[in-house]
Amino acid sequence: MRWGQYTAFVPISMKIFADSASAFIADRPDAAPRQLAWTAFEEAGLPTTSDEVWRYAPLKDFDLDRFGVVSEPATRTDSAFAAQLCERAGLVVRVVDGFCVNTGKGLEGVSVEVVESSQSLAGTSFADRYRSDTFAILNAALTPATAVIRVGAGVNVEEPIVVLNVSNSTSSFSRTQIELGRGASATIVEYFEGGTDALVVPLSEYSLDDNSSLQLITYQRLDQSAWHVARTTGFVSRDARLRQAVVGIGAHYNRSRNDAEMRGAGSENELRTTFLGSGDQVHDFRTHQMHTGARSRSTLLSKGAVADQSRSVYTGLIEIEKGAKRTDARQTNHNLLLSPAAHADSVPNLDIRENDVMCAHASSVGPLDELQRWYLESRGVSREDAERLMIQGFFYEMLANLPAELAELVERDVTSVLATVNVVTP
Amino acid sequence: MTSTLIIEGLRVEVAGKEVLRGFDLLMRTGEVHVIMGPNGSGKSTLAHALTGHPGYKVLGGSVRIDDVELLTMSPSERARHGLLLAMQQPLEVAGVRPIDLLIAAGVDPTNLRQRMRDEAERVELRPEILDRFVNVDLSGGERKRAEMVQFGMLRPKFAVLDEIDSGLDVDALGAVARRLSLASNEWECGILVITHFKRLLQELTPTMIHVLSEGRVVATGGPELSEILERDGYEPFRVASA
Ligand SMILES: Nc1ncnc2c1ncn2[C@@H]1O[C@H](COP(=O)(O)OP(=O)(O)OP(=O)(O)O)[C@@H](O)[C@H]1O
Ligand SMILES: [Mg+2]
Repeated sequence: MRWGQYTAFVPISMKIFADSASAFIADRPDAAPRQLAWTAFEEAGLPTTSDEVWRYAPLKDFDLDRFGVVSEPATRTDSAFAAQLCERAGLVVRVVDGFCVNTGKGLEGVSVEVVESSQSLAGTSFADRYRSDTFAILNAALTPATAVIRVGAGVNVEEPIVVLNVSNSTSSFSRTQIELGRGASATIVEYFEGGTDALVVPLSEYSLDDNSSLQLITYQRLDQSAWHVARTTGFVSRDARLRQAVVGIGAHYNRSRNDAEMRGAGSENELRTTFLGSGDQVHDFRTHQMHTGARSRSTLLSKGAVADQSRSVYTGLIEIEKGAKRTDARQTNHNLLLSPAAHADSVPNLDIRENDVMCAHASSVGPLDELQRWYLESRGVSREDAERLMIQGFFYEMLANLPAELAELVERDVTSVLATVNVVTP
Repeated sequence: MTSTLIIEGLRVEVAGKEVLRGFDLLMRTGEVHVIMGPNGSGKSTLAHALTGHPGYKVLGGSVRIDDVELLTMSPSERARHGLLLAMQQPLEVAGVRPIDLLIAAGVDPTNLRQRMRDEAERVELRPEILDRFVNVDLSGGERKRAEMVQFGMLRPKFAVLDEIDSGLDVDALGAVARRLSLASNEWECGILVITHFKRLLQELTPTMIHVLSEGRVVATGGPELSEILERDGYEPFRVASA
């Protein structure tokens, strides 16, 4: 056997997983495009840490054969938190192990469909669109189906829509597409729980037609043993606005790639990501803001804290195409180290092919703001509590745009997690 | 029970410069003391040094409440011993709500939201403001009123109010003065106000006025002192200090 760039190499340890994948694909109505995607996956093989984009992943702990592709969802009762979240929603779409099991009761102007489709909202097939992303390709091959949520033109959905994504089996390849018609607006929460010893690979796409506005919260609370490799992409048309907050708490390896394409003139993306690392977790956040529309804007704020032996990496790319005049793109990244053994990296990148733009990035790894801490202490708050309040504040800020009673619920949940982590600066 | 705040020979350095150069003050709970003095004379420096601000270095002196030394304490211990500062420019703390701050500071959580709303009403602060993060997106005047809400909840033995009147409109000024005046009766709060204007003192009768110049008290007197300052300015006092 010749070792080289073109060698298709499937490690023996992938056999069990590969067999369950083949059985799953053979049973699906649209087996052909799935098989193509699977072949592409096999040809690419699993990434290694010598791949730049996988440098920080603990791949030595990763064994695909610990997971199996399931042909039907396993049932289990939701957490108390999930139940409370659903009580506050106007519509709940339930996804278990990647299978959309319930499309919820009707909400005016909103439709939910489960479709067998291999089409990305980018306009190409999933396999083409995500060719260079091993795990997204796996999703293209192995998702049970796509849950498509459409908000009609001009519809303003007042109550939040919750996509409850639960992983009860050892793998989950969910796929969600959210489409907002012209001038529509909605608030959507994608919530993830479960995932004990599981591989969770969700793929979401959002398309925002002209003048529409989507407020999106991705709240990831998987079990600390999960491998979570998520990817989201927003396609933003003229004068539309995508505001997205990504909160990552769970998983052994939490990889979250959040991209947006500002395609229309005056389109806008505000992305806030935050995380709390504990134990030996790795949080790997990646963003790519692509500007093609003139006068488009993107604001990216990533703020997180790492405790114990955990580590985080933030890799952000802002790309501005020639012709995207008067684009304004900013990214800021603040990391907080809560233990001498914790580690945070930040890799901002710019790729600009237009002169008439405003672009800025800032990143820092450091302690909490000393003056803010003093202010709290000078009111009688102990140092430890002041720091806890400030770190909790990273998350509260992310939730500030949510309807109040939903924000309160999530805040309480975040606070309960923080109480279990040693968040005091050394 | 009456408590006493004693500041003796306090010397404080800011950015390599000795700004307070031997400051003395003695006051009791229930009293209202006023510090006046030209810009840059060290008034805010005093306020910050008392509360352990990390940018101010104490070179010497003593600050005691009932014979307990505060200068060796952490900022939160000082607060728990009954000292509170309302800042000239209250800081923004994003992500932290006033109610969570107060609970962490040891305020009784029973009915706290309602009590905060009542307190806000006293200083004519719109109660919705209390749901925002501490001082974030508040106007200058709203920040001052928000500091007053914390004051009303924390009920310190001694409060230092650094230009609480600046940035307030006339109506709010009256409301804040009445609130402070009431506090000195309600829990015998000792009130140390730093101000440039005698307007605040119309409804808050001072026990004593101290004039600060170049880091030292150069004159101490009754309410009549504010009239003299209003008329003649600080010039005569500068001469006195020389
Ligand atoms: N952080 C700082 N860095 C450098 N110098 C400072 C700092 N804070 C205060 N100073 C200096 O210390 C001196 C006293 O300042 P302080 O703020 O105490 O004055 P003040 O009496 O409160 O004045 P004002 O009436 O304008 O509020 C001034 O000369 C000021 O420039
Ligand atoms: Mg001052």
